[in-house]
Amino acid sequence: MDTNELISHSRARFSHHQARLNLKEKYQAKMTFAYRGGMWCAGPNLQSTLLTCSGTQAVILDLYETPIQIDTQELLALSQQRWQEQMTAWLVEFETLNQNR
Amino acid sequence: MTQGVVIFAFNNEQVDYLAMAAWSAARIHRHLNLPVTVITDVEDAKRTSVFDQVVLTDPPQTQQTRYFYDYETSAVWHNLNRSSVHDLSPYDRTLVLDADYVVASDQLKLLFDIDQDFLAHRYAHEVTGYPPFGDNNWFGVYRMPMSWATVMCFRKSQTAKLIFDTMQMIRDHWDHYRQLYYISESTYRNDHALSIAMNTADGHCLSTPSIPWSLSTVTSKTTLTQLGPDTYRVDYCNPDDKPGWIILDQQDFHAMGKRSLGAIVANTR
Repeated sequence: MDTNELISHSRARFSHHQARLNLKEKYQAKMTFAYRGGMWCAGPNLQSTLLTCSGTQAVILDLYETPIQIDTQELLALSQQRWQEQMTAWLVEFETLNQNR
Repeated sequence: MTQGVVIFAFNNEQVDYLAMAAWSAARIHRHLNLPVTVITDVEDAKRTSVFDQVVLTDPPQTQQTRYFYDYETSAVWHNLNRSSVHDLSPYDRTLVLDADYVVASDQLKLLFDIDQDFLAHRYAHEVTGYPPFGDNNWFGVYRMPMSWATVMCFRKSQTAKLIFDTMQMIRDHWDHYRQLYYISESTYRNDHALSIAMNTADGHCLSTPSIPWSLSTVTSKTTLTQLGPDTYRVDYCNPDDKPGWIILDQQDFHAMGKRSLGAIVANTR
């Protein structure tokens, strides 16, 4: 790194806006998980769908529009667990970013 | 079924891709716990213990050059034999990574759980937001959807073979395909060839399966520095020429700035 780059480096400001957008991309990727040969995105959409299924067995479409036979309670538990794990990690990182100036 | 990662590394006068591949291999072992094969023309690669396998092959015959913004010069770009990976890969299921793709998490492991013959990123974004990257997700006058060849996961199958064979056909008749899709750039890019090949193999239905998240990209107009084992700072200038920075922590990304990445690799040795 030359002198000009060092000066520019020290004058630079942390971009909170861009960091937030980046965090969103990062954690959206981490919401993806595999179950019974299908791919799923943990979160309210999947969980709402699962709550509309009356029985414990159902067939729903995964991220690749492939019908997959699932156990609704099992998939609901997996989705809720991953969703909250990743949201908690997101919050921790978000709060750390807010301390940057 | 065997699984592993393949990296192509053909050095030019500016960039030591083999060093990048070796640096990347150590990170792949740590995060993904997968064997790494390098495809290169550098015989010394066999002395590098970090690779599980070395496939020696002739460099693609080309005088095609590419302008490297960070080096402010053009250099020969040996990118013409990516499509031979179906034949060269020793694995049943292969993850192909660019040498400048930084693995900083275990996110890519998930690709091996996806029941598809071929996957690549459909979307990419610039982590700093500058320059806006959205237009790069389409190409040509007809705005065909781009599939990024930076990360490809395939299993040896008829579908994957068809896609790679089609890529070779496009490469061999690049001027024709360039005119067909009204692509202004004359330089052959694997991204264009892959996009056209995937769409052709899909019957032009624009419904090819893709990696279900966006490819994080750090362009060559930024400065990348390493703060920790998996933590990087990206410095950039916004359109008002005001300098800004962000942190990437345990997040994979494509480092297009070979100079910054080269310095990080050199400092790690």
